[in-house]
Amino acid sequence: MARQIAMVMDLNKCIGCQTCTAACKSMWTDEPGQEHMLWNNVETKPGEGYPKNWEKNGGGWNKDGTINPGTIPNPADYGSICDTNAQEVYFDGKEKVLGRKESMEYGPNWNEDSSVGEYPNNYHFYVPRICNHCTNPTCLEACPVRAIYKREEDGIVLIDQDRCEGHRECNKACPYDKIYFNMATKTSQKCIFCFPRLEEGIPPACATQCPGRLRFIGYLDDENGPIHKLVYKWKVALPLHEEYGCEPNVFYVPPILPPTFDENGNISDKPRVPIEYMESLFGKGTKYALKTIEAEMKKKEAGKDSELMDLLISKDWKALFNIPDVKLM
Amino acid sequence: MKKIDLEMNRIKEEMRVDYFPAISRRKFLTASGLAGLGLMLKFSHLKAATTLDRPYRRFEDVMRNKFTWDRVARGTHGTNCAGNCAFNVFVKDGIVWREEQQGEYESTDDTPDYGPRGCQKGLRHAKYMYGNQRVLYPMKRVGKRGEGKWERVSWEQALTEIADKFIDVVEKDGPESISWGSGTQMSVKIASYAALARLVNITGVTVPEFYSGVGDLPTGVYTTLGKVYVGDTMSAIYKSKCVLVWMANPAVTRIPDAHFFWEAKYNGTKVISISPEFTPTAMHSSLWVNPKPGTDAALAMAMVHTIINENLINEPYIQEQTDLPFLVRTDTKKFLRKEDTSIVSTLAVEDNIFYLWDKKTNQAVIAPGTGLTDPPLGRDRRKFDTIDLGDIDPALEGRWIVSTLDGDVEVTTVFEFLKEEAENFTPEKASEITGVSPEVIRQIARDFAKAQPAMIYSGYAACKWIHGDLLQRSFVLLLSLTGNIGPEGSGLQISNSPKVRGLMAFAFNGIGPATRMVSATNWDYEQGNMIELTKNVYGKELAEEWDGKYQESIKEDWFPQYGKKGWKMGFFAGNNGANWRASGNKWRKDAFETLESIVAIVPDMGVTSHYADYVLPVAHHYERADIMLQARTPYVQILDAAVPPLGESKDDFTIVHDFTKMLSKRAKERGMKAFHDNVDGKNIRRDFKRAFDLFTMNGKVTDVKDVIQFIINTTPGIPKMSFEELAAIGKVRVEGSDKTYYDKESPYHSEIMESVNEKRPYETLTSRQQFYIDHDWFIEYGEQLPTHKEPLSIEGYPLRMMMGHARHGIHSMWRDDPLMLTLQRGKPDIYVNPDDAKARGVKDGDNLRIFNTGGEFFAMAHFSAGIQPGMTFMYHGWDPMMFKDQQNFSAVISTSGLIKPTSMAGDYGHLGYKILAYAPNQTYKDFTCDFEKADDV
Repeated sequence: MARQIAMVMDLNKCIGCQTCTAACKSMWTDEPGQEHMLWNNVETKPGEGYPKNWEKNGGGWNKDGTINPGTIPNPADYGSICDTNAQEVYFDGKEKVLGRKESMEYGPNWNEDSSVGEYPNNYHFYVPRICNHCTNPTCLEACPVRAIYKREEDGIVLIDQDRCEGHRECNKACPYDKIYFNMATKTSQKCIFCFPRLEEGIPPACATQCPGRLRFIGYLDDENGPIHKLVYKWKVALPLHEEYGCEPNVFYVPPILPPTFDENGNISDKPRVPIEYMESLFGKGTKYALKTIEAEMKKKEAGKDSELMDLLISKDWKALFNIPDVKLM
Repeated sequence: MKKIDLEMNRIKEEMRVDYFPAISRRKFLTASGLAGLGLMLKFSHLKAATTLDRPYRRFEDVMRNKFTWDRVARGTHGTNCAGNCAFNVFVKDGIVWREEQQGEYESTDDTPDYGPRGCQKGLRHAKYMYGNQRVLYPMKRVGKRGEGKWERVSWEQALTEIADKFIDVVEKDGPESISWGSGTQMSVKIASYAALARLVNITGVTVPEFYSGVGDLPTGVYTTLGKVYVGDTMSAIYKSKCVLVWMANPAVTRIPDAHFFWEAKYNGTKVISISPEFTPTAMHSSLWVNPKPGTDAALAMAMVHTIINENLINEPYIQEQTDLPFLVRTDTKKFLRKEDTSIVSTLAVEDNIFYLWDKKTNQAVIAPGTGLTDPPLGRDRRKFDTIDLGDIDPALEGRWIVSTLDGDVEVTTVFEFLKEEAENFTPEKASEITGVSPEVIRQIARDFAKAQPAMIYSGYAACKWIHGDLLQRSFVLLLSLTGNIGPEGSGLQISNSPKVRGLMAFAFNGIGPATRMVSATNWDYEQGNMIELTKNVYGKELAEEWDGKYQESIKEDWFPQYGKKGWKMGFFAGNNGANWRASGNKWRKDAFETLESIVAIVPDMGVTSHYADYVLPVAHHYERADIMLQARTPYVQILDAAVPPLGESKDDFTIVHDFTKMLSKRAKERGMKAFHDNVDGKNIRRDFKRAFDLFTMNGKVTDVKDVIQFIINTTPGIPKMSFEELAAIGKVRVEGSDKTYYDKESPYHSEIMESVNEKRPYETLTSRQQFYIDHDWFIEYGEQLPTHKEPLSIEGYPLRMMMGHARHGIHSMWRDDPLMLTLQRGKPDIYVNPDDAKARGVKDGDNLRIFNTGGEFFAMAHFSAGIQPGMTFMYHGWDPMMFKDQQNFSAVISTSGLIKPTSMAGDYGHLGYKILAYAPNQTYKDFTCDFEKADDV
């Protein structure tokens, strides 16, 4: 039967440590041609993100069902990993200052903790991003050689590397800029939801390797699983930029930041993150989600039970991964 | 057009027909339930795809083949990050391909489990260990120091020359003239450290202790509790109902454990972050409170004020556990002691017997469990005595007249004095100092006091302020007033440390303790002539006054003057001391480079090894066996060798072993005589010809696994098993860890818990949690009680520079990893408030010159509105090698000549020189600076 695998990321637990990024990098993208690729990245929001200004690069669906024309990001908008001059500095005595061989004008985490607004009512938070393995993917639609397909068994969207001819139409069409061009193979590549792991019952590396315990994995249709409960029952997990029309299968629990201060330095009820900004990311369901989380948290504070809080706490790490015969290495 | 293109176009058209426009699809979804429909749609185009007679999905096998490996070893990263993370290390084609967090830890019913444990540095190590900073062969300097010109030499040659120099120095200047420091790359690998500990115990060379050297020694905790080890496991956080995260940023510095805070928050715990800047921890907290840098103690004292004034104190707790009901003479401000009252007591050995005012009998009575202070302080008392009050009901408030040898004198309680002190810090007054509103101060005081249990989670940052001891004393006071030292989920969480009896047993076996361990702070102060720096930066008056106290302490024999004699030879084992020393180049020039011989024993290059004369390559974490205990988790963790060491590198044990062998060989060949050596008054005969036989216990210890086994077998609390058994599973839970704090059966310190729960006397002068210190110097400086004092600043420089452990490195390790650099700005950056920056004409990304009278360094401006105006923030650990002039932030940290007088006070019960407990911290915070736009680089 055709199913859809999905992920929920709880942004209230994300500490921006980039462990997911490192786990993904060593798993899939440490080969030549992939220096600029982070299939998984974590960016500070608000911020230009990775690649730079991806939210302004177009792509996604128009309301009439056509694809909103997008652009291919500039190579400098990614920020590539490169070697340091350790050899020249330490062993050859030729250079004085240790650093990257190539200078860096921008990078995947350039705006790390660049809080916005006015101190002390500033705000920022972290948003980890992978391919959304959309139900309605523009990349698939845009591919002129039909190299992109969505797997029947788990809904994972893949770029067939044998078929891809490097036209990069997918790159333009993906509104999340989650497709990368491999300079060595001349093909487009992206997150594969770690399907070789998943097929063995091992959840994706970014999820099992997340020390923040914020990534839930499971099938959308599994009504007893945490994903279904968070997305459909409690409605606290929301897609990123639903207005792009791609119907992502990665969902986010929006973050609740500490309260702001009024002009006298007393606690104010004005939220730290303007709701308009939050809604611009997570859509109209944001208010409801935030209210629900706050109300359930209050219940716990009062010593009452809350299914939602227990789900989000997930005392048992393994409970984050609700797939059949789950194996953890 | 090619045939294939035509085919592709046809497919494309076909697919477009298959696809519903996004908008109509969504409507459809609403009508018929989501999951099933999305899948149906997807199915439709898949069907289209599979109608093609083309071998789709063949490439999937390529990806599947990538997810294969030859073998898996258990391991971790033996760094001093306190993570103790269980890792699987995957080996493919003879090299480490990658690593993953092992993840599965036992679940418990009442707290979240510990899995998975790791961070981005750990997940990157398989790449970093093959990085171009790695040292592969022994190297001997051929150019000038720091020139980067080396000759590759054999181990034989390197060890021969080093052993000869070692013997030369010992014969001429004694073993104390050699220092063998170990740093974060090796000192927490217990077997490695045990091997070094045995070597230094045999040879008598000096071991600089960096607990105070890096400013981590919690002296304020020690002053109050008589112990520095007060931390529980990280899951204790989940048991707390209110956590003040204060002087810490666990979202960055405790990556594997940060989840406990947010899980606790979801569970109804108030997580209150207190920091001047909006930290990643503040981001997820229930409340963020933002005092001005260095004013935290005023905030704490204002909370104390609120708690006392609103009667939120736990009276029975403080009556029994603290010195707050102890009687103090109002005339001398000294405790009422038995020798005040009886001539007999001044003659007999009845020191340090203190009094309470019993409300029942309305008279002064002896406080149970006090007295008898033969060193080591408190040991006997702990065994045989109790602080149980019995029928006594001690008054907290009141003034009484008692007759003493001086006649009738007025006495009152410590608590009365505390109330007076707290009056200096009403929320209104404290608000003026801290910038936090009185209402917020009252609110957090109430939240904290009413939550049971409540906790203060703190890092080492407090220790890095000159008056950080006062802040820590006020932390303990807040906890104690509310009865929050003892229950699960309460307490001051700074650090615990394994007792590791096996380590000491290994070091001393067949020899006895003969180790020379010294505080690096004092050595730096004298050898670096740091008084000159203090004069220059803070003025002659302060420099000379504090130096006067320093000299007096040494004259009184309160502290040894081990800094007087310079070192001739320095070993830096996994230690990047030239990175973090305050005053930067001054230390490097005046202290470090005056060493005749510098030997760096490291896996990776850094500034210290760059300036060394010999560099010896150490095996990396996945190339060696060892054993780790870190109190944040109740697990023993193993390191096993996944692959052989790269190049000619060797594990630390083997290097120490081979060096000792060479030392004995050369001692025999040179006919070196045995000599007598005096350590702490003990006369010790040292014979280097026998050093190797002693080291190996006559051939019984030849491999690091022998040491590991020795430690497992001889350390209480580590489950008994073979190294191989442990290596197969990677980690095992320690004994005595059923609760979220450690009990007696565990390998960790549990003395404070025993004092609270079993009413055992504390190892303080008063046998209680001691908030009142009536030492003359403490009275002279007005520090008898916890209080707030303004941090030092440098006139004319308005900005404070705050620092903390980095997210993308552990100390200076991994700072130069290509991925970590890419995940930052590629080079060192400093966070600044945009308004401060704009006032100085600075834009985000500009190159900045940061300066004060101490010096200058350069870094990139990184804007954040989360930085309090008037401060900057920089992560530490960035190696000086990554900066212009090889000069990092330490250039402006002009604090290395600041030795707080009271930190050298002695002859007062538990206060006085005690290694790893009471020694002056090197501090890093009490300075100000400024910045300006610099030329681009």
